[in-house]
Amino acid sequence: MSHRQSAPPRHWWLAVLAACALLAACSTSSASSAGSGSTVTVGESTVLSGSIAELGQSGLQGVQLAVADLNAHGGLLGKKIKVVSADSQATPATGAANVKNMILQDHVVALFGPVSSAVAAAEEQLAGEYKVPIFFHTSNDISLMGSNFNPYAFQVVPNTDMEPRAAALYLDSEVKAGKIKTPIALGTFAPDYSFGQDSVAGFIAALKYYHVPYKLVSQQWPSLEATDISPNLSALLAAKPSVVYNAQFGGDLVAFVKQAAPYGFFKKTTMISMLNTAELATLGSSSPAGSIAYDRAPWFAMNEPGVTAFATEYHAKYHQWPDTWAVLAYTSVQVWAYGVKHAGTFDAGKVSTAIAGASIPTIRGTITIRACDHQAEVPEYVGTVASSPSPQTGFPLWAAGSAFTAPFSKIALSCAQMKAMQK
Amino acid sequence: MHSLVLDIAGTLSSAANLFVVAAGLTLVFGAMRIINMAHGSFYMYGAFAVTTVLGVSAGWRFWLAMLAGAAVAAAAGLIVEVTVIRRLYDAEHLTQLLATYAVLLIFADIAQRVWGTGYRTVTPPAVLASGIDVAGVQVPRYELFVICAGVLVGVALWVMLARTRFGWLLRAAVQDPESIATAGINLTRLRTGVFVLGAFLAGLGGALTAPLQSIAPGMDASIIVSVFIVVTIGGLGSVPGAAIGALIIGLAQTLGAEFFASWAASLIYLIMIVVLAIRPWGLLGVPER
Amino acid sequence: MHTDLFAISAEHDQPQSTRRPGQPAAGMVAAAVVVLLLALAGLVWSPEALANLQEALGLVLFAVATNLLLGYGGLVSFAQAAFYGIGAYGIAIGWLHGQLPFWLGAAAGIAASAVAAVVVGAISLRTRRLYFALLTLAFTQLFFVVADNQGGFTNGATGIFGAMVPTWLAEPQGGYYFTLAVVVIVTLACYAIVVSPFGLTLKAIRDNRERAEALGVNVFRHQLAAFVISAVGCAIAGCLFAIYSQSASPDLLSWTNSGEPIFMAVLGGMNTFLGPAAGAIVYFYAHLYLTEHISDWQLVLGFLLLVIVLFKPSGLAGIMADLSRAAGRLRGRTGGRA
Repeated sequence: MSHRQSAPPRHWWLAVLAACALLAACSTSSASSAGSGSTVTVGESTVLSGSIAELGQSGLQGVQLAVADLNAHGGLLGKKIKVVSADSQATPATGAANVKNMILQDHVVALFGPVSSAVAAAEEQLAGEYKVPIFFHTSNDISLMGSNFNPYAFQVVPNTDMEPRAAALYLDSEVKAGKIKTPIALGTFAPDYSFGQDSVAGFIAALKYYHVPYKLVSQQWPSLEATDISPNLSALLAAKPSVVYNAQFGGDLVAFVKQAAPYGFFKKTTMISMLNTAELATLGSSSPAGSIAYDRAPWFAMNEPGVTAFATEYHAKYHQWPDTWAVLAYTSVQVWAYGVKHAGTFDAGKVSTAIAGASIPTIRGTITIRACDHQAEVPEYVGTVASSPSPQTGFPLWAAGSAFTAPFSKIALSCAQMKAMQK
Repeated sequence: MHSLVLDIAGTLSSAANLFVVAAGLTLVFGAMRIINMAHGSFYMYGAFAVTTVLGVSAGWRFWLAMLAGAAVAAAAGLIVEVTVIRRLYDAEHLTQLLATYAVLLIFADIAQRVWGTGYRTVTPPAVLASGIDVAGVQVPRYELFVICAGVLVGVALWVMLARTRFGWLLRAAVQDPESIATAGINLTRLRTGVFVLGAFLAGLGGALTAPLQSIAPGMDASIIVSVFIVVTIGGLGSVPGAAIGALIIGLAQTLGAEFFASWAASLIYLIMIVVLAIRPWGLLGVPER
Repeated sequence: MHTDLFAISAEHDQPQSTRRPGQPAAGMVAAAVVVLLLALAGLVWSPEALANLQEALGLVLFAVATNLLLGYGGLVSFAQAAFYGIGAYGIAIGWLHGQLPFWLGAAAGIAASAVAAVVVGAISLRTRRLYFALLTLAFTQLFFVVADNQGGFTNGATGIFGAMVPTWLAEPQGGYYFTLAVVVIVTLACYAIVVSPFGLTLKAIRDNRERAEALGVNVFRHQLAAFVISAVGCAIAGCLFAIYSQSASPDLLSWTNSGEPIFMAVLGGMNTFLGPAAGAIVYFYAHLYLTEHISDWQLVLGFLLLVIVLFKPSGLAGIMADLSRAAGRLRGRTGGRA
């Protein structure tokens, strides 16, 4: 290195900055105008990579299918609908940035929700600020319609109080039938964020409410999408629980089942978890028979002709059975479309008013959107995983006769309770 | 009623995994004074390579997959050493950190191209898939296998360092680099060999623990922090130090999950802070030359 | 005896006699012109472009503050993300739990960062080089875990999102001018520190620690002071981020976020005062452009970083120096006077 280095030219700064100004001018592309002309745009920023990507991809597919069906029937108010999507990477800041882009550059007239409730809270905040209707079909933390509520947000799935209540109700019936011994040695295994924490809290509160005797022996909080859960698993097993409430989902839940099996976990412990179609399909013969599973829209157990038809068509088209999330996302688009048709406009305020309190026909039957908290009055479904594969699908579904529908009236919080949270 | 057996098994298998990976990092640092941020990338490549070889079913292909994983990582290590590491031997550690971080970014992108952005799982072969009864509790055979593998690697490293010419040269490089230079040894080949060995160990670690976790992007960044802690606590350059560090961190992870709930994740950092506050160069490390 | 804003301080500083007279003044003029241009941009550019520039300016401060420790102190630390995050969370938590006005929350965040810096620095500076870097990494991860886990206080992994700044600040122009003003003022303050006797002592410690000690300098205290000053600068940058994004989330405190300002400083030239500023601007827009147009942006970024670190460690400033030397040789050949 030469000792006689000369200084850079006096104004090298300006050269660099001028170059950046040019770069900046190139990168801030002019916003694509949507909404004028013959198309409107809707957006979904959800997780499309990582271990829970399946839920995001499935949900996005549901939205795309619903929009395609709408367009096949002439679109909405004479306009075709376009779907834009982005990967939130299950990170609130990324989801928020995506949504901000969709609102400011793509001029979306509606948003459809992500998977992670943490991302949902961030996206909801922006939707409220910019007045864009947002429809949650996967994330379900109670705060979304509670403390974070805004008049443009809608929820089509049971929340983190309702869902565990349904599970607790089912567990109670198993206890009363003598299938599970009390007091229960309870272990919980949940991803460490709002959804996991609130679901576990909801479950324990429900156990108390239904007077199910339990003793809490272990609580584990692995990170969402954590690749290595062995310390948490060892700790959970060392506590010897008889019942484990597992609030994981997607690939995280599949990995848990695979890693817990060699410990003989499922022989000694009853696990309660969100084992849906996709997870059971992935696990196949490794699916834990006798395990309790809850599902928000199990096409095989719902007895809804619309869903059964949807599933059959979906299977014929994609050679795969639809996941719960596709069904629910499709439903959420139908809710939005109803609002637009009845308001006669895409305006957020009018659409929201049209939806609140309405009874809307969807593929899963007619559902009512409660006015006080924009919560769909839908039940939660619980069942026991079958020990042999279903002849229809080739992988285990729920044991015949085990399906249980927990009605909305039994599991939901009252309007007064939700209003109290919204302050 | 609490099971001590599961605690011990969990601690030992975590420690075994961390040791195998950390030994590679600490050897490279000890012999070449290179800190490699991309060490976790070799680990990840080892794990992903296993998923490729295994496909859906395990069986005898499992052992092949283990070796393939380590070999893929070693090959990656060779490429990295020849192209990048060679230029870093006398560089400031900032340069080393930045350059190897750049390698991490590049390898992460290539991994996403080759293996996608989703996650994968592998199942061990049937002979290792079930559990074994130990004092009334079922312990997965595979966990015991990982513990044995960790011990074997430790023994093999000790034998190599103490009894082989390569190991002798390596120890000389650690303790007295000037003597190597004057003895007419091919320094370049020695350095390449050490780095490739380090990468091999990282890949082996990844391959071994593939059945015990989800294999997904992001594995590289999450393992490198734990490995840095193990290596720093043990003392940079010391393989026995890495073993001790791995045991401490393995214990912290298992006990943390049991007794500390939401604070569990902070335990390993607190331990590192305490150890370095007392002994600023790690337990078995030497003050900076 | 002023440090030239734009000179590369080589291992051996240039003797006074070869410095061109009036250079510092010329540097000041150039910087003032830049600030004037930035102020004008606020009146002319579109809201989206201004929002981007506002974010970029915050990163400029982050990089300059980091370089106080990195370039002038010669200390490679991973803790800057922790202080950045604490600054941002100051505003966010103040708003969430105390309904504090943003400037009060910011003050709390900056104060908390300073206290944290004293603790982290006092413990970490007892170790050297790599151990120091890794120890600061451990501290940063510790802060990250607290932000991620203590849901009652920090809202956990969700982060805090909300209207935490008044409307005039949330608007594109208001926010932009506020950010510009803060960045200019704090950068000037950093410059004053760098050219002060304290700053020169710091460089002396960086160049030869033993000699400084032999001359009676309390190395530990100087380095700790530099650590805390850098932390305060980073905290202010974090506050600017919270103002821009109206949010704070645990990812701000992860150790990989600490790598970004280091990369910016090296890219621009960590041996100059404003090199990191240039590096921050270039990095921000390059990253924006790459992520929008190339899906393999990680690959491109990694290659760029590798090339710079291996072949041109003096960064953009170094490239400019080479160009000016080449221009000077050309001028010499054609008979002109330098």
